[in-house]
Amino acid sequence: MKEKILQTLTSLREYACSKGVDAAFLYHEEDSYLMRFANSAISLNTNEHLIRLEITVYEDRRRASYEMITDLNKLDEMKQGVDIAAEMVKYAMPLNYQPSIPHIKENYADVQGFDPELGMMSGEEKLAYFNDATKDLETDKITLSGIFSSGINILAQISTKSEYTQYFQTSDAQVTIVLAHADLKWEVTAEQSAHKKDDLKPEELHAELSFLIDRYKNEPAQQVPVGSYDIVFGAAATAEMISFMNWIGFNGGLMKRGFSFLTEDHVGKKVFSEKFNLMDDPSRLETFPLTRDSMGMKREAFPLFVNGVFQKFTWYQDDADEFGEKPTGHNVPHKSLVLDAGEMDVNSLQDLVKMPKDKDILYIPFLHYMNIVNPSKGLVTASSRFGALLLKKDGSVVVPYNVRVTQSLLDIFGDKVAWMSKQQTVYNTSASYGARNPVAIVLPKFIRVNDLEISHSNSSY
Amino acid sequence: MHKQLKAHIDRLKAAGATYVDARWYPVEEANYLMMWNGNLKETTSSRESGLGVRVLYKNAWGFSASSDMSNLSTLFDKAFDNASVAAERVTFPVRLAEKDAIQASFKSPNQIDPFGVSLANKIDFLKSMDEKLNQPGVVQRASEMMFVRKQIVFLDSEGSEIEKNIVEVFPSIQVMGIDSTGETHSRKFSPDRLGVTRGWETLDMQLFNENAERIVRELNEVLVADPCPKEDRSVILLPGIMFLQTHETIGHALELDRILGYELAFAGGSFVTLNDFGKLRYGSEKLTARADATLVNSPGSFGYDDDGVPAQNNLLIDKGILVGAITGRQMVEEANAKAKRQIFDGSSGANRATAFYRVPIERMTNINIDPGEDGSLDDIVRNTEKGIILDGDKSWSIGSNREQFHFATEIGWLVDDGKVTKVVKNSTYKGETVKFYNSLSAVGDESTWVVHYVDNCGKGQPNQIMQLGHGVPVCRFDNVRIGE
Repeated sequence: MKEKILQTLTSLREYACSKGVDAAFLYHEEDSYLMRFANSAISLNTNEHLIRLEITVYEDRRRASYEMITDLNKLDEMKQGVDIAAEMVKYAMPLNYQPSIPHIKENYADVQGFDPELGMMSGEEKLAYFNDATKDLETDKITLSGIFSSGINILAQISTKSEYTQYFQTSDAQVTIVLAHADLKWEVTAEQSAHKKDDLKPEELHAELSFLIDRYKNEPAQQVPVGSYDIVFGAAATAEMISFMNWIGFNGGLMKRGFSFLTEDHVGKKVFSEKFNLMDDPSRLETFPLTRDSMGMKREAFPLFVNGVFQKFTWYQDDADEFGEKPTGHNVPHKSLVLDAGEMDVNSLQDLVKMPKDKDILYIPFLHYMNIVNPSKGLVTASSRFGALLLKKDGSVVVPYNVRVTQSLLDIFGDKVAWMSKQQTVYNTSASYGARNPVAIVLPKFIRVNDLEISHSNSSY
Repeated sequence: MHKQLKAHIDRLKAAGATYVDARWYPVEEANYLMMWNGNLKETTSSRESGLGVRVLYKNAWGFSASSDMSNLSTLFDKAFDNASVAAERVTFPVRLAEKDAIQASFKSPNQIDPFGVSLANKIDFLKSMDEKLNQPGVVQRASEMMFVRKQIVFLDSEGSEIEKNIVEVFPSIQVMGIDSTGETHSRKFSPDRLGVTRGWETLDMQLFNENAERIVRELNEVLVADPCPKEDRSVILLPGIMFLQTHETIGHALELDRILGYELAFAGGSFVTLNDFGKLRYGSEKLTARADATLVNSPGSFGYDDDGVPAQNNLLIDKGILVGAITGRQMVEEANAKAKRQIFDGSSGANRATAFYRVPIERMTNINIDPGEDGSLDDIVRNTEKGIILDGDKSWSIGSNREQFHFATEIGWLVDDGKVTKVVKNSTYKGETVKFYNSLSAVGDESTWVVHYVDNCGKGQPNQIMQLGHGVPVCRFDNVRIGE
C-alpha cells in the first residue's frame, strides 16, 4: 500500500511539473473504527475508510487549494484536482508576503508508531475489552456508556520542489468508559490511550471505576458552597487546560493577532510556577508524534516552559512567512506535549484519598465544555464532571454536585501550584471532527492548585 | 446506481436485516475564501462523494461508509457485520417508529448559484469588505465566505427514495481591536435570513457595508468602555446572543438522544427526564419554543431527514410548559416504551448526518422562540429599570446536563431607569437554565424576530458538524448575575 501511495504522489508531482505548476500534495488515509456504547448496549458500531488529498498550488505570492475525498484508483480525478487548483490560483489575490512551498530534502518514512494488531482489532476483541473493564459494575440503574475508537492513520507528502516523499503511519486507540446512574444522573469515567495493543489494560479501568462507584454509591452528595478551594485536577482536566494553552498561549501566529495571554515580552520571563516544565517532544511515541513537519523540517524536542520560564513561541509556516519569523517545525496537525512530573508521591486516586490533608480538597478529574472568556487574560471557564470528590480534612469523602471554574490559566499554572504527581500518564485528547488525527498529552496524574475560585455550584446532579 | 443500491438493500434484508438504508452523495462541493488583514489566506475548494450504509440487524445498528464505490458488496457487508457484533450487546431492542414510504425530492431555495459566480467576483467582494473594515481602532479584520452544494440520494428497505439538492451560504465579517490595557475585543456580523432564497444574493453589498460600519463603530465604543459591573441585572438579549442561548439551553437540552443517555460519554445528558413532558415549567408563560423545519430558507429546513421523515413544525415548549423534543424514529419508540406512555406520536423528522461517512443522529432543525407582545427593543428598554443589553457571542460554556451556563458577549449596553446609559466591555452572564427561563419577563414582537444561522453545531461520536437556524426575538430575563 505504501508503495502505491507514494507512486500516486510521484505521478501527481510529474503531472504538475509537466504543466509547469508549483504544487504540494498532502495525502491522508484513515481506516477508522468506532464502537459506541449507551445504556449498556452497543448503540453504534461504525467504520469509515476515507482517503483525502489536498493539493495546494502556488504562483508567485498567490496560493489556492483543492481538497478531495477520493481513492487510489482515481488518478485521473486527482489530476483534475491539480488542474482546478492551477486554474483557481490564477484568480487568487497575491499575499503581501512570500508563502513557502514545502521542500522535502530526503525520502523519509516513519512507521514506528504503527502496530497492526491495534489498528486491526476486531469488534469482538473490543467488546471483550469493555466487558472486562466493566465486569460486575453495571446494574439496572448503573449503565454503561463510552467509546472504543481505533484506527490506522497515514499521512504522505510530496511537492514539486523535489522528488522526495514523506510517509507516516500510526495506529491508535482511545477508550472512554462512563458509568452513570439512570435516575440520579451522576457519572463516573475512566479513560485509556493506546499507541500499541499492549497499552490496553482493561483491569486498570475496572479498578478506577470500582473505586469511584463505591464512593458515589456510598458517600453523601451535596452542593458545595461557592468560594475558594484547593483543587486537585486530574489528568483529563489538566490536559484540557494545556490544550487551550496550545491555542491561546504559545502559538506565535495567534499571539501576533492578539489572541494570546503571552506576548513577546514574556519570552525569557517566569510566567508559571517553577514546577511547570512543558515541552513539545516528538520522541514520545505515546503522543502519536510526527517527527518531520509538512515542510520537511526535522522535529526535535522543543522546550516551551522551563521552571515556569517561557522559552519561545511555536510558528506555523504560514505565520512565520507572514510575520518574518523563523519556522520552528510546527507545521503539523498536532504537537507532542509533555508536562514534566513533580515530586509528590500521589499516583492514584486511592493515594489521593488516603493522603493526609491540611484542609479540604476538591478533586476535579474532568472539565466539561471549556471556553475562552478573555484570551488576553488567559481566562477560561468550564464545569466539573465525571467523578469529582470533596476530600475532607478529616479523611471523609463527599460527592459534590458539579461546579463551575472560571479562572485564568496564568493563575491555575502560576504560583498557586502546590504539587504535581511523581508519575505521569497519557491522556488522549483526540477529537473525531474531520480527518483522523490521533493526539495525546503526557502529564502528571494529578496537579494540586491552591486557592482557586468556584463561581457556581449545582444544587443537584 | 439506484438499481445497484436497491439490490444490495434487498440482499441484506434477505439475509435477516430488519432495516437497511443507503445515503449516496454523488457530489458534495465546498468553496471557502478568507481574507485576513488584506491577505487572501484561504482559497479552497473541495469535492467529495461516497456512500454510507446503515443496517439494523438483531435489534442493533451497524454502519459503514467509503468513498470507494467500486466494491459495494464489501461496503454493505461491513455494515451488516458491524451490526452483527453490536447485536452481542443489546439491552433495549432498536425499533423504528412508523413512517410512510416516500418518493420525493427537495431543493433548497436560491436565486443565484454561488458556484456559478466567478472566483474573481468573490474575491472582489472580500476586498471591498476588507477595505471597509480597515478603519482606525481595528487591528485585525477578517472577511470570509463559505459555500456548500450537495446532492444526497436516500434509499431504504421500506421503499423510500428521496433526493435532496442543498446549497448553503455562510458569509461573515469580523473586526478586532486592542484596548488600553492590552485586551483584545471583537465584533462580527453574519447576515440573518434575508428572504425566501439564499444563494449568492445573500452577499448584499449594501447590507454588508452598513454592518461593517456598525461593527467598527461598536468595536471602538467597546475599546474605551468601562468593564461590565459584577452584579444582578435584567439581561436583554438581542438575537445575536439569544440564538445561542436558545441553541445551548433549549435545543441541546431537548435532543431526545441526550435525554435518553445516548450522549453521556461525550456531549453530555440533559436535566430533562421523560417524566417532565407535559409537566415541567421550563420557563415563564411568555416562553413558547418550537422546532420548525418547515421555515422557508434556512439550513435547518431540509425537506426530509436522514430517516426519510418529512420536515415538521412541532412545539417544544408551550407557554412555558415542556411538551416536545427533537426526535428521530428510534428514540421516540424507546422513549414511549421507557415512559410507559405515549409521549411522542412519531418521529419529528430531525435525524440528520453531516456527511455520507457519518450516521444520522438527532439534530436541531430551526429551534425558534415565538415572538411576544412586549413591543420593540425600545419598548422593552423603556420598561427596564436596571438592565443590560447584550449582543454578539464571544464565549459559551454549558453544564453537561445543560442545567447551567456561562456566556460572554462582545458588547453590553447598561440600561438604567428605562434608558441606555453606556457601553461596557467584557460583558458576561450566567445562570441556571430553568430558573433563567422562568425569569423571562419580556419577549419582543415580530419586529425583533430574526432567523440566525448556525454553521458549526458539534455533536456525536464520531463528531458531526451540523447547520441549522434559530428564529428568535429580543428577550429580557430578570435578576441575572453579570460580570463574572
